[in-house]
Amino acid sequence: MTATTATLPRSLPPILTPRRGNIILAALTCAVLPPVTARLMPHWFTGSVAVFFAVGTSTVVAAMALNVLMGYAGQVSLGHAALLAAGAYTSGLLTSNAGFPLPFFRVPGGQSMLVGIAAAGVVGGLVALIIGFPALRLRGLHLAVVTMAFGFAMTDAFLHLPAISKGSAGVNLPRNITPSFTLVQDADYLAFALLVVLLLWLIDDNLVRSKVGRAFHGIRENDALAQAYAIDVSRYKLLAFIVSGAMAGIAGALYGHSILFTNGDDVPFVFEASLALVVIVVVGGLGSRLAVVLAATAFVVTPKLFDLVHVPEAWAAAIGPLLLMVTVVRHPGGFAELLGDLRERRHRRKIESERRDQPGADDDPASTRIPELGLVAQVAPAVKRPEVAGKDLLVVDDVTVRFGGVLAVDGASLSVARGQIVGLIGPNGAGKSTLFNAIGGYLRPESGRIQFFGQDVHDLPAHRRARLGMGRTFQNIGLARNLTVLENLLMAQHHIADYDVASALAYLPRTARVERDLEQRAWQALKAIGFEEFAYRKAGNLSGGQQRILEMACVLITGPELLMLDEPSAGMSPGAAENLAMRLRDLRDRLGRTVLLIEHNVPMVLDVCDYIYVLNYGAVLAHGSTEAIARRPEVIAAYFGEQVA
Amino acid sequence: MEQLGRYFVIGVTSGLIYALLAVGIVLVYRGSRVLNFAQGEIGTLALYVSWAITVQQPLPWVSTLPPTEKWLVGAVAAVIVAGLVGYVFERLVVRPMADSSRLSVAVATIGLLTFLVIFESILWTPNGRILPPPVAGLGVRVLNYYVSPTQMIAVVVVVLVAAALTALFRFTDFGLGVQAAAEDQATARLMGVRAGRVSAFTWTAAAVIAAIAALLIEPTIGVFAPGYISRLFVFALAASLVGGLTSLPGAFVGGIVVGVLDSLLVYVLRSTSVGDFVGTRSIPGVDTLVIFAIILGVLLLRPNGILAARRVRVA
Repeated sequence: MTATTATLPRSLPPILTPRRGNIILAALTCAVLPPVTARLMPHWFTGSVAVFFAVGTSTVVAAMALNVLMGYAGQVSLGHAALLAAGAYTSGLLTSNAGFPLPFFRVPGGQSMLVGIAAAGVVGGLVALIIGFPALRLRGLHLAVVTMAFGFAMTDAFLHLPAISKGSAGVNLPRNITPSFTLVQDADYLAFALLVVLLLWLIDDNLVRSKVGRAFHGIRENDALAQAYAIDVSRYKLLAFIVSGAMAGIAGALYGHSILFTNGDDVPFVFEASLALVVIVVVGGLGSRLAVVLAATAFVVTPKLFDLVHVPEAWAAAIGPLLLMVTVVRHPGGFAELLGDLRERRHRRKIESERRDQPGADDDPASTRIPELGLVAQVAPAVKRPEVAGKDLLVVDDVTVRFGGVLAVDGASLSVARGQIVGLIGPNGAGKSTLFNAIGGYLRPESGRIQFFGQDVHDLPAHRRARLGMGRTFQNIGLARNLTVLENLLMAQHHIADYDVASALAYLPRTARVERDLEQRAWQALKAIGFEEFAYRKAGNLSGGQQRILEMACVLITGPELLMLDEPSAGMSPGAAENLAMRLRDLRDRLGRTVLLIEHNVPMVLDVCDYIYVLNYGAVLAHGSTEAIARRPEVIAAYFGEQVA
Repeated sequence: MEQLGRYFVIGVTSGLIYALLAVGIVLVYRGSRVLNFAQGEIGTLALYVSWAITVQQPLPWVSTLPPTEKWLVGAVAAVIVAGLVGYVFERLVVRPMADSSRLSVAVATIGLLTFLVIFESILWTPNGRILPPPVAGLGVRVLNYYVSPTQMIAVVVVVLVAAALTALFRFTDFGLGVQAAAEDQATARLMGVRAGRVSAFTWTAAAVIAAIAALLIEPTIGVFAPGYISRLFVFALAASLVGGLTSLPGAFVGGIVVGVLDSLLVYVLRSTSVGDFVGTRSIPGVDTLVIFAIILGVLLLRPNGILAARRVRVA
């Protein structure tokens, strides 16, 4: 009986899921509420009130757009208002009689508003692509610089070009859906605008639920971490800006059609508007769509409230930036985090009360026992790896890395045979982690060759090497600390999530299927390491030992051929380290995996490694089988200090 | 050709101002690894302070002063207020965020920028204002262009600031500390450098320099309004990128390069047949288009600045 009820929901075709029900309800509300209200209460809900709210929808969409870029992907734009202008002008030129200038061709005007708004999105995305490409290859705040310059160029020059301005002061934006059907009533247009907001909300939501959103989050946390999970950082940064630009373009078109005529000096297009959007997104809470939308709404409505109590509207605007500064200093997560804190506190109280009922549940398993990592590796889908010519999986040949005047790695050579555990030891500052970074592609060596699977990987960026089967952990733990344990395991499967960006945004059935597979695999991995109860906990809130285990699970879940572990036993008890050694041997013996291990725990290294390289001052001091190395006097001297006779 | 020389001189004189603003950017960037987006707007605020006490409602004793002294009184007040804003922001916002991500600090400077723009609009309305120059007169003719007295003062001041900073960094322990902190905060602190003092100095100095730059360029641009120096700040950002963001000499070279390049390209777009083709002949704001192109060009071709070895670090 219980078995049938448990399987019943699965067997029903999911035509009306709760989510779909909510969407239909929201769509109906958007479509019906404004027109009906306007007709029932024409004196209260006048045309100008409807226009006020329609302009507000544009602000909301613009804030959502910047949230995709800043909140999800952690990149700053100071020129989003100019993207709104680009969108408004695009839709205006297409829907009015002017026509849209293309090189050697002019698209005739008089198009439907639907075409205009879609084109506004396309142009917004294209502009983002063009100005984002040079800036987003680089680390740092270059995008903020470029977009700030772009904002001024837009208002002060682009919009005055004769091809765009037509020698007049601006463009008309009629609201015709077809040549014979026009949204004359402002309230009807408001309903239309709300539907557009809903559509973009859903696309945004799809993005967050897919690998694209997880890739953005990974980039926001840490570039190197994202690369370790085979995420192409530059590409996804650019993608975030393109999606954001497209949404901003649509926001501009929504603004233009709500007031029917616009020019470059309009409030939403100028530099101050770009700044206001940054304020909204940061105060609302980077990355939380609902909070950002609420903040945008507050930004639209507050001046009116000030007006009602006879305080100058401008004072309302001054509150935002002050709040921003308080936010970044005191509550970096913004309004959303304050809410999140409350939720977490309630959740913790609940768990604590449960704990009291179950004595002994408080023990941290990670402090004493390492779960069977081999089980996680078996979760991974089968990948066909190329055969290695010879027996060496990884060959490092005469690699030199220099930081300014410091020679960090000095002509180091090593080779790692397939199916072996190779140790890399040496005193602090010997260049072990630097060599790891050179092998993984996180920095480019000055000279030398690195071969993986017999292929020269010198020109491959880190994310491509990860895709080839180089898995790595980080000395300071490579996890997205602000994502949950489950989300980390999903992000780690980025490159085996086989669907493209468009199907992610539309969340096609195929996407849903792949996501279900990923999730299933993640749960299997959670079960294998015994972390099911932590699934929805933020990775940053796990204990140090638990984080190390989760990190290794994240690396193993895609089944990499080479595991590069950077001090995996740091912070573990001796018992746990011994346990870890056992698990590593298991990975080698049962699954044929290869391990390159940086470790300070010498007993463990001697216990588990087949072959050892000793690094000192960036150069290989000695290498040999474990037994041979253990006897070398110069190694003992370098590593354990001078022997006292 | 005569025109060309004229644009060249304009480029050099405005380039010096960009260089000055760029020095402020580089100082803060080296000290805190942050781009201070509010720096330009602190300059605008300084202009308003000076305007308020010399034009809007001058004190009785100020209004009777001769023009140059009046300007000086306004300038001193402006510089003091700007320095205070920089100092207070460092103490209240930057210092408590010592362990935060650098992105958050940059966002905080955007908050200050936004606040200043709104504050100026509330207090002085968005209307354009004019500040009389310190010394009246046409100035000296160089290559068919009259270099105004203010611009000549600017040349002297820029050289003085450059010399003072160079001396500070080269000959004083404190300057050495600033440099050490720029290299490695933690190590510098362990070596006895008082990181807090270094940070306070760089942010205050950048604000003071922004005020000086604003006061020296205002007579050339004529009218200012909220956000005005932020617009010029983009040129300074370009200059510091050209110079490589961390080098003070680079900032100077970058300022001149950007000033001259911008001026010459504006000449091409406004006064030649190229302008007819592109349609930019009658667009006054075409300089923003040029600076946008310059920034894109630098990021594409020389992301580490023109003085750095050609080495692209792809993220």
